[in-house]
Amino acid sequence: MSESSERRDRFEELAALVYEPVQRYLLRRLNPEDAADVLSETMLTLWRRLDDIPSHNRVPWSYGVARRVMANYRRGQRRHLQLVERLEREPPPPPPGAGGESGDTELTAALARLSPSDQELLRLWAWEGLEPRDIAPVLGLTTNAATIRLSRARKKLGEGLKDRGRFRTQEDTTQEGAAG
Amino acid sequence: MTDELRDRLARLDPMRSDVSVEPVDSPASRKLLESTMSTQVGERRATSMRRLVPAVAAVAVAVGVIGALALNGGGQPLVLNTGVEDPTASCIVFSVEELAKAPVAFEGTVVSSEDGVVTLDVDEWFRGGVSGQVILEAPEGMEALIGGIPFTAGDTYLITAYDGVVNYCGFSGPSTPELRAAFEAAFSG
Repeated sequence: MSESSERRDRFEELAALVYEPVQRYLLRRLNPEDAADVLSETMLTLWRRLDDIPSHNRVPWSYGVARRVMANYRRGQRRHLQLVERLEREPPPPPPGAGGESGDTELTAALARLSPSDQELLRLWAWEGLEPRDIAPVLGLTTNAATIRLSRARKKLGEGLKDRGRFRTQEDTTQEGAAG
Repeated sequence: MTDELRDRLARLDPMRSDVSVEPVDSPASRKLLESTMSTQVGERRATSMRRLVPAVAAVAVAVGVIGALALNGGGQPLVLNTGVEDPTASCIVFSVEELAKAPVAFEGTVVSSEDGVVTLDVDEWFRGGVSGQVILEAPEGMEALIGGIPFTAGDTYLITAYDGVVNYCGFSGPSTPELRAAFEAAFSG
């Protein structure tokens, strides 16, 4: 088997494993048009770096590549559109049905108040269903660091939900007082 | 053990309701993958390596790195000097234009801070590095004076450095929406 044929076979095997999960990863974070662009660039990066891809953790590793391609893409968009402030603080464009189906606006708001890196950790954990050992290669962390940061992000999110609860209680009390 | 928070977050997942994606064997996917595999790996790599070498050399000279400077993504951390806060030193007035001159800029989360050594996991490089971690070291004997920033494990910071030394005066600090917006604006070009 020639070298190029062997390389193609390895890439086909990788694509069968990661192509659909990477699409889902991107569609959770980008609109479909942007996701298609980033998918194309991500697959090209995987093709070029095929020799560097570890034999285990290939899906999380590919998420990590997609994440970096997406960051560059967003930066390029911002440069092009001159919408730095608006885009950079906005959470990713709400994908279809985000928060809508569950109607959990309280959790959506609490999540949006966290730092972008905490938000991404929590999404990888809950949406991609990754454990810290698999979150680590996506974010370029050690497993230990991913474990600690996930634990802190969960705590911050929990506290954010509690704070919101307290705020609403105070609001309700105030309104009740004003009504009475 | 079920985790209520995880389940609740999972219900926000926009892709959970059997939202379809393009199957790997569809004609559109095959076209993309064939196009990808027709790319000349060697050529692209040679080009990127030619571009990388002078860029890396320039950064290495510019930052005057103390200790090991890793050139690969997963390798050894970049080491920077924290310098010491000099109350008599005058600061350049903060502006995005000044910020944009920094040869090294990144966002990172502190994983440890002790004995004058702060280790950060890099969340995003804006300029001047590729390593996954950065270590900030205080000058010898100055461990208690780790610049003007209280580094707390678990918190995220935006850092710039000139000549291998962290730049304070508002050009580095905890990651706030305002500072992050400035970094995005400064390094988007």
